[in-house]
Amino acid sequence: MKVTSIRTPLAKVRGLGSAKSGTEHWWEMRLTAIALVPLTFAAVVIVISLIGRNHAAVAQILGSPLVAIIMLLFIYSTTLHMRLGLQSVIEDYVHGKAMKTALLIANTFLTIVLWLACTYAILKLSFGV
Amino acid sequence: MVEFTLPKNSRVTDGKVWPAPVGAANTREFRVYRWNPDDGKNPHVDTFTVDLDDCGPMVLDALLWIKNKIDPTLTFRRSCREGICGSCAMNIDGVNTLACTKDLGEIKGPVKVNPLPHQPVVKDLVPDLTNFFAQHALVQPWLQTDTVAPEKEWTQSREDREKLDGLYECILCACCSTSCPEYWWNPDRYLGPAALLHAYRWVIDSRDEASGERLDLLEDPFRLYRCVTIMNCSKACPKSLNPAKAIAELKKLMIERQKT
Amino acid sequence: MAANGSGNGAVPAVNGRAYPLEDHTCDVVVVGAGGAGLRAVVGCSEAGLRTVCLTKVFPTRSHTVAAQGGISAALGNMGPDDWRWHMYDTVKGSDWLGDQDAIEYLCRNAPAAVYELEHWGVPFSRTEEGKIYQRPFGGMTTNYGQGIAQRTCAAADRTGHAMLHTLYGAALKHSAEFYVEYFVLDLIMDSEGACRGVVALNLDDGTLHRFRSQMTILATGGYGRAYYSCTGAHTQTGDGNAMVLRAGLPLQDMEFVQFHPTGIYGSGCLITEGSRGEGGYLVNSEGERFMERYAPSAKDLASRDVVSRAMTIEIREGRGVGKSKDHIFLHLDHLDPKILAERLPGISESAKIFAGVDVTKEPIPVLPTVHYNMGGIATNYHGEVLVKKDGNPDHVVPGLMALGEAACVSVHGANRLGSNSLIDLVVFGRAAALRCADVLEAGANQPTLAKDAGDFALARLDRFRNASGSTPTSELRTNMQRVMQNNCAVFRTGEVLSEGVKLIDEVLASAADVKVSDRSLIWNTDLVETLEFDNLIAQAVVTMNSAANRTESRGAHAREDFPDRDDKQWMKHTQAWLDPETRKVTIDYRPVHTYTMTNEISYIEPKARVY
Repeated sequence: MKVTSIRTPLAKVRGLGSAKSGTEHWWEMRLTAIALVPLTFAAVVIVISLIGRNHAAVAQILGSPLVAIIMLLFIYSTTLHMRLGLQSVIEDYVHGKAMKTALLIANTFLTIVLWLACTYAILKLSFGV
Repeated sequence: MVEFTLPKNSRVTDGKVWPAPVGAANTREFRVYRWNPDDGKNPHVDTFTVDLDDCGPMVLDALLWIKNKIDPTLTFRRSCREGICGSCAMNIDGVNTLACTKDLGEIKGPVKVNPLPHQPVVKDLVPDLTNFFAQHALVQPWLQTDTVAPEKEWTQSREDREKLDGLYECILCACCSTSCPEYWWNPDRYLGPAALLHAYRWVIDSRDEASGERLDLLEDPFRLYRCVTIMNCSKACPKSLNPAKAIAELKKLMIERQKT
Repeated sequence: MAANGSGNGAVPAVNGRAYPLEDHTCDVVVVGAGGAGLRAVVGCSEAGLRTVCLTKVFPTRSHTVAAQGGISAALGNMGPDDWRWHMYDTVKGSDWLGDQDAIEYLCRNAPAAVYELEHWGVPFSRTEEGKIYQRPFGGMTTNYGQGIAQRTCAAADRTGHAMLHTLYGAALKHSAEFYVEYFVLDLIMDSEGACRGVVALNLDDGTLHRFRSQMTILATGGYGRAYYSCTGAHTQTGDGNAMVLRAGLPLQDMEFVQFHPTGIYGSGCLITEGSRGEGGYLVNSEGERFMERYAPSAKDLASRDVVSRAMTIEIREGRGVGKSKDHIFLHLDHLDPKILAERLPGISESAKIFAGVDVTKEPIPVLPTVHYNMGGIATNYHGEVLVKKDGNPDHVVPGLMALGEAACVSVHGANRLGSNSLIDLVVFGRAAALRCADVLEAGANQPTLAKDAGDFALARLDRFRNASGSTPTSELRTNMQRVMQNNCAVFRTGEVLSEGVKLIDEVLASAADVKVSDRSLIWNTDLVETLEFDNLIAQAVVTMNSAANRTESRGAHAREDFPDRDDKQWMKHTQAWLDPETRKVTIDYRPVHTYTMTNEISYIEPKARVY
């Protein structure tokens, strides 16, 4: 049976109107994706080169300026990409208003925490504080 | 949450197996989705045996044969029977397409016929497309100009006219939109490939003076950007159009006016 | 909600209760959302009239969508042109049965109507200078028959599709009120013979609706489905024509049924005449371009009736192609594939799908196929329905208009020229809207309907819904289609037609035994098809009788026993009534309008019609 509603079909599809945004999200998603192509490759090479080395050597490599900067960029791009991607997944699959809002907040918090923790670790190795 | 299982009263059960035509040598089995709003029963799949020697080559011919010869209550939309009106869009053998242009020879094994996915079913193979048509209306599918119209036609170069090819031919059959998972999950907020293809058709019409306003209308995380290039739309289009490309072009225009 | 029909002995009922009727009031009701209906809806909405459009299919599903070749108008984009030349061609095409005042109105207003469509957004193909591209079409000439005109404005070979979608957009722009998938059952006529609205069934939920209006406009299309093989849609059942018959009004010139020369052999799908306009030609089994023999000057671009007859003769004389020598080949394979892709993409696709033919390499198997009904509801050029009453042949039926293929204005007379139907839709759609704006007052008070108004329609619905005979609708329909196909075809004789009258009467009589299996009211297509069959059979009976009655050959009506046109006796419109009780046909005549609308062109005198 037809879904009956007092609202007109046009009112329904117009909803709350255009948010006049979304381009930024899409653009950042693409930029981080592009950035992650070389960065992921570099990060994998770096991690493989660490295999079998002792703690001091690892700390020294990760703390060296070039490697540290690559790893910081990698972490930033990954966590941002992850936040944007997970946001879309939540928006697609979670339709309950409260649950959706909660998960969106959690996603933002968790990815920021993850970003900050990783960044802090690299900086610590770099500056040895 | 998105529901991945059907509610209890929507689960599809086995239906009636209709007797095969007597003496038919060349037959084909059809499994057709049935649902009658009047009888309170769950949807079910009926099995029909079609005499191919007594029926035309297309899936629509077979459905008409069933309706004429076996069960007149079988319900579906049909009109032009030549692939231009868009009425008989349905899911055949797992793919959204037009029954009138789908050749039976292209299908192996029993022919499975279902209504277009993820739309409310009115009866049997008839979906309610109200929302789909409202979304088409939302993109304002008419020429918008402020300049006083000329006495004769607006002129348009052949190159500019060519840009409309592959867009204006859309027949609003809804095969694309109802094949898109993003449309399944967000039918209320994502406009879907058909409406977006129409939007692009007007945005790039060289005669139209409202391209910017049209883009404003679309710039939204859901209306446009819910498209994640799954490309089911382009695969499903029975008119061989490419809605995915039209959507990509819209995104490029968004970038053009903001970023580059 | 209004309870209905109390006080009537035979009250139709659902579950023992009277069918509930929902009442609506508006200024104008348009039935049908094809090209003509939508143009009228836009015009009436623009004029501030409360306009309601009832349609049994979603607007863009209407069969205007399938028109391919183009829309004629003397724009002169491809060379000199003049609306008078267009008028001459149309008069000649009609074999002088067209009303020349109406034809003048059509051709004179055609350019403005096309520009208007362009301004609304129709994606016409373009010339180098960016103007609307125009192609040659059958029967379209310059300078009163001297040269071949390029007058048919085209959007590739999808002109009808482009137009219909644009018109729908224009209607959306004006926030027109659509009732989609409403099947109109009958007109509501009052005791003075005026139309007061319609009764309709909402397929979606089975509710019944009574629309009261100052003006009812029928734009319900033709009835091609009375024949076994036709280019038309399954939905082309001439519902409006049948409503008019049931209202005790006549249909006009129903004997004139156009066979399109190039329907795809087997499926009957249309291949546009534009394919011959772009250079395609027909050949017989001897590889001969036989049209050169039948129409030495226009050849393959002769008028449709001429080409269809020539093809039929070729097949009859054993020069058909194929295994059973029963069709003809249409060649496009000599044309530049680039031109085919640009100008004929749609038919290239259709030929591939329905005939398995690659048009760049092989010919398309084609056969004359029923395509268009010149006959229909008699109107003047305002769209107002006419009936001969008390000696006045042009008595206007109050409150009722008809447009498009449903109407017989008559601009097409005995034979329509290709691309003249699309222009007919928009010119007269617009004319009707202008007339409504002129004669109606928005929101004017309307007298209340009689208590039993609409009962007639409900009784009919109820009778079919509960029909429990033994013959399914599909069988009756096939019987009717076979009779029409066999006994009312391209060539006709008195003998075949009188047999046809007998046979179609038998089908009509057997319809009393109809069996409807679906008793539901929601999307009951079994019931709708039965109502449509009932509409078709009435028109089939009228067509067959009108054809048997006209003892001359004119346009699409080719009598082998009367091979010549007889202007002395037959330059007149047939008007045929069908008695609702006895279902017997009565025939009378209306004179053809042998005058023009203005003195800018004088009456075009009849002469021999050669191409």
